Amino acid sequence: MVIVLALICGCSGLVLSFTNQVTLEQRENQLLTYVQGPSIQSVLSGREFDNDPIQDRFTVALGEDDQGDPVELTVFPAKKGGETVAMAYASSGVGYGGEIDVMVGFDLEGDLTGLSIMTHAETPGLGARIEEPSFTEQFRGLEVRKGVQLSQDGGEIDGVSGASLSSKGVVSAINKAADVFPKVKEEVS
Amino acid sequence: MRVVNEFTKGLWREIPPFRLVLGLCPVLAVTTAAKNGMAMGLATTFVLVCSNVLVSLLRNVIPRKVRIAAFIVVIASFVVIVELMMQAYYYPMYKILGLFIPLIVVNCLILGRAEAFASKNPLLPSLADGLGMGIGFTLSLTFLGAVREIVGNGTLFGMSVMWSSYEPFSVMVKAPGAFLCLGVILGLMNWVSTLQRRRG
Repeated sequence: MVIVLALICGCSGLVLSFTNQVTLEQRENQLLTYVQGPSIQSVLSGREFDNDPIQDRFTVALGEDDQGDPVELTVFPAKKGGETVAMAYASSGVGYGGEIDVMVGFDLEGDLTGLSIMTHAETPGLGARIEEPSFTEQFRGLEVRKGVQLSQDGGEIDGVSGASLSSKGVVSAINKAADVFPKVKEEVS
Repeated sequence: MRVVNEFTKGLWREIPPFRLVLGLCPVLAVTTAAKNGMAMGLATTFVLVCSNVLVSLLRNVIPRKVRIAAFIVVIASFVVIVELMMQAYYYPMYKILGLFIPLIVVNCLILGRAEAFASKNPLLPSLADGLGMGIGFTLSLTFLGAVREIVGNGTLFGMSVMWSSYEPFSVMVKAPGAFLCLGVILGLMNWVSTLQRRRG
């Protein structure tokens, strides 16, 4: 009785791990296309390009974290005629309700081509308004090499009113992304 | 002849959601549109056919005392396969159906067919039974989804089918609409059967 049941469970495990292996790559592709894809398209939309940034993605090693594990960043390049004209990659900052994941696009000079908020847990109606174009469009074309700041700290970005922590989270995500830009650009050229 | 009979019984005489009234959780939950109902039905059919075949093949190997546990393992394995496949090749539908895909495991239609039919019958009738029941289930879900989509949204498979000034009854695509619609269909089917019996 126990043997039969164990055998059935064993076979099931075998079949499932096999299916998992076989579909792994395709599932990753689908996730990229349907979850990150729209964000990537939107942050790169200001530039003309003729490739598929998801298909041409590559990873950049960013050194190691505190535990000594390697940190990698997936970069989605936008190319025209084989030449990279812009690139998009994900970044994150801590807002009021938790992590805010954003997708940022940079051109070769390191100016922002766009910003798209992917996931967040901010308060609906307040912090969640960081998703609105009136906030995100301020970043398009912004020069970020020296860092971005909110207007309340003497910077050029008007935060969402009543949600300074959320706004700061986004700004810190952008600054984080700007910090790694030189490394990413090295890989591109 | 018997095989044909086992196949056709799932299409009308024992059509799962309306006659056996089995597996109602997905029937009520995902039939907000014809396409969703159809996808759910096809996923369930796949699991149903595969589990019926396997259970039928293993019916003399599985000890009686642990048969339900064994059936569940078989069913759950196929459900996970469907889930992975859907994630890999039909991600938008996977997002719509979401939680209801893993919940196929506890769809009592599948366990019901394994216990009541496949564990007592040879391969071919079990295959026919699974296929018939699955197709019946798919048709029912598609039909229910179509009715709710037409009345509640004015569309069918995403295409507009009603006149332009049609004002949709949006309650039909919400949860109460599922109960209303299912109740009306059950009533109509009973009425048709009564008429047939009187004539016969």
